[in-house]
Amino acid sequence: MKRIATIFFLLVLVMSLSLPTMASVPGELLIWSDGERAPVLAGVAKEFVIEYGITVRIQELPFGDIRDNLAIVAPTGEGPDIIVGAHDWLGQLITDGLIEPIELADESAFLQSGLDAFTWGGKYYGIPYAIEAIGLIYNKDLAGDEGPETFEELIELGKELREEGKYALVMPQPDPYHTFPFFSILGGYVFGLDADGVLDPLDVGLANDGAVEGFEFFEYLLDERILARATPYDTMMSLFQNGNAAGMITGPWAFGDVRSAGINYGFKQIPSYQGQYGRPFLGAQGFMVSSFSENKMLANLFLNEFVATKDTMLAIYEGDPRPTAFLPAADIINEDPDMRGVMESAAEGIPMPAIPAMNAVWTAWSDALELVINEQSAPRPAIENAVQLIIQTIKDSGY
Amino acid sequence: MGKMIKYMILGILNVAFLWVALFLLSSQAYFVFVLLLLGALLANLVFLAPKGYPYRYLLPAAFFMVVMVVYPIVYTVYISVTNYGTGNILHKEQVIAQLEDRYVLEPDAEDYAFQAYRDDRGDLWLLFTDSRGERLLGYRGQLTSLQEQDPLLEQLADFAELTRVDLVRATNELSGQSFAYDHTHELRMRNINSFSVYLQQYSYDRENDALIESETGTIYTPVGGYFQDPDGTRLTPGFRAVVGINNFRRLFGNPQITGPFVRVFIWTIQWALLSVATTFVVGLFLAILLNDPYLRLRKVYRSLLILPYAIPAFISALIWRGLFNTELGVINQILQATIGSSVPWLQDPLWAKVALVILNLWLGFPYMMIICLGALQSIGAEMYEAAVVDGASSWQQFRHITVPLLMVSVAPLLVSSFAFNFNNFSVIYLLTRGRPPIVGAQTPAGHTDILISYTYRLAFESGRGIDYGLASSVTLVIFLITGAITFFNFRFTGALEDVNKNV
Repeated sequence: MKRIATIFFLLVLVMSLSLPTMASVPGELLIWSDGERAPVLAGVAKEFVIEYGITVRIQELPFGDIRDNLAIVAPTGEGPDIIVGAHDWLGQLITDGLIEPIELADESAFLQSGLDAFTWGGKYYGIPYAIEAIGLIYNKDLAGDEGPETFEELIELGKELREEGKYALVMPQPDPYHTFPFFSILGGYVFGLDADGVLDPLDVGLANDGAVEGFEFFEYLLDERILARATPYDTMMSLFQNGNAAGMITGPWAFGDVRSAGINYGFKQIPSYQGQYGRPFLGAQGFMVSSFSENKMLANLFLNEFVATKDTMLAIYEGDPRPTAFLPAADIINEDPDMRGVMESAAEGIPMPAIPAMNAVWTAWSDALELVINEQSAPRPAIENAVQLIIQTIKDSGY
Repeated sequence: MGKMIKYMILGILNVAFLWVALFLLSSQAYFVFVLLLLGALLANLVFLAPKGYPYRYLLPAAFFMVVMVVYPIVYTVYISVTNYGTGNILHKEQVIAQLEDRYVLEPDAEDYAFQAYRDDRGDLWLLFTDSRGERLLGYRGQLTSLQEQDPLLEQLADFAELTRVDLVRATNELSGQSFAYDHTHELRMRNINSFSVYLQQYSYDRENDALIESETGTIYTPVGGYFQDPDGTRLTPGFRAVVGINNFRRLFGNPQITGPFVRVFIWTIQWALLSVATTFVVGLFLAILLNDPYLRLRKVYRSLLILPYAIPAFISALIWRGLFNTELGVINQILQATIGSSVPWLQDPLWAKVALVILNLWLGFPYMMIICLGALQSIGAEMYEAAVVDGASSWQQFRHITVPLLMVSVAPLLVSSFAFNFNNFSVIYLLTRGRPPIVGAQTPAGHTDILISYTYRLAFESGRGIDYGLASSVTLVIFLITGAITFFNFRFTGALEDVNKNV
């Protein structure tokens, strides 16, 4: 018994230590990529080996896990050289000291808004490959071929549809990211700019008059049953897929689900209200270099010469269609009407603030939305209380 | 023979210890290293000393208890007095190394194109050329200006010039090169095509434990996990530092945190009590029904009623989440069709709690039913016969025979079920995620949050990003509370004593 126990113990030890430790080692590159980008990068890696004889290994992780795992693993020296990620991780990754500035060989090859999203303190921290923004996905059978241009039209449509138990609009709730256009439509913002044009974390504009008016308009849509109440993402999606909703506010990631349900759909920017368009958050995805990489210069070289190329960027697009941030590939990609729609929506977009103070915003904001959606509070006190908490948290954390 | 095997195993074990020890040393995990060393020493003693024989069986258990129970507790206590969380995840040495490795590109510095040569000893010689055609030779950190027809150039011709492929392959070597440009600036690699003039931004003064900014001479001293200048400007990233009782002060000194904490605590108790009470009552009721020998198809009913227990709780919880959906859920659709109104199951604080209790009842009653069935069968039939002879009604039989005898074996399980539900994170998190939110709470706290889910949200969803320090201090408070509750529970129910007496 004892012997069996000892042998078992030894086996466990040996196995746990001899697992291939995927770590950044000098002279080899390790990339953490999500499943969509991994096959493309694997192809690029092959070219790199042929050209320079330097191995590039790809480790596949779920997109959302990359940031959290980097924080845990990189400081112990086990992390990657390059990661795939979203621009709104920048704040956390930089305050944690986990990513390095990147030297771009050719800035002019990138869409300015994509670069802006990855800029921090005047330095680039990522090479963008895609940008995205939410918009209105509409069901052509319910909302017409052109779709509603204004919220006023949408309300008219909604009053007809609600007689049949259908909705003019669905969106994920409570979800600050998707609800931001209602705040921005009449002049709300998350962080204002200070005199130097830098985001000022203590100037939170989510409870200014425009924001509150927009939020009240959001409540009005719920009360009038134009907008379905309290639908999480999957409920929203099934309402739209079953033809029970004319429009859905969400982003390009939903195209696949909508197409598979056989909905005849179109994508356009979020409708206007009182003549002004709701401005969504602009997001970008890109490649970043770890601070704990043993091959920072090599990683830069790999990204500049092998990833920032038309072929690679087109392959990334083929694997997971999103509007590209790489201009030489843009002409081909923007022929797709969906992509063109997202680009138009993104043109109205405001880069989602990537400063660490943004962490303090999400929870409080989401709670305020939830209180209004659940009819437990009027919009003004809910959002004013939230902003007070946000500022309090930001002051306490000393951002 | 037996001895040989024994020594062989010990040898292998020691080799393994050594291997792990080296691994730990190289990753600077000194605390675990010391633990391992102690463990290895003990293992050898127990194996070799005849007196240690009985401990051979005890030692592995003790080892795993230290590793899996004692060490996490000690570590949690340690984390609770640090600022470990977003912005402070690195160690101080790592932050110093990172800040020292920051170089500023001189604003109008010139880029130097370069060619690299390798001499017979493998050393690199770098020939730099600026835009005016001026040439510098870099070797071992020193720069030399070159004349038109410098003899050094001829020497270079004898060395092997690196091709582009060689350069790429030698990137790490090249980027490690630094040449003194003037007394403050260095020539360093900018990219694969050029070198440029850089200034090291900060240098660390080990004696005074301070960072000095090269350009301005500003001194940054470590304060509360950050390097900070006299005006209070902080350098990022910050590092892990011991901040004493700061986290506890945040927890108890701020009414926007204590308020939710007390509410969460009260609901946790209610939740655990309700869960045990509802599942037990329903389980007992069904058990009594199924225990009736005159019931037909008992086995079929029993199998069917155990089903909810057999389905993984995760799946059940997610299905129930769908059923409770306000807009599309089956429950609301039925309510709408029958009584004409629907219930905001997951939006209203009270209904969300009701939904949770219903879900937990579904998940938990088969367990209670099984243990009650077992306990009922162990009560002798002669007791009931005697009661019938004495003219006791069924209620009296139940009240005076079934319940007391049942409690003997079931009470400890009820206590443990209480403790389990006290920390039943998965049901809460899968159904409501602690929502709906409590108005005005400064930490993420909801009406259906129990202490453990509240801690989780503090650690991973708080305004600061990740906040392990505060979460650890909450964990310690929870530990004290659950410890006290369990203690009194056992004390007053006398549960453990009865088990010893009767089983």
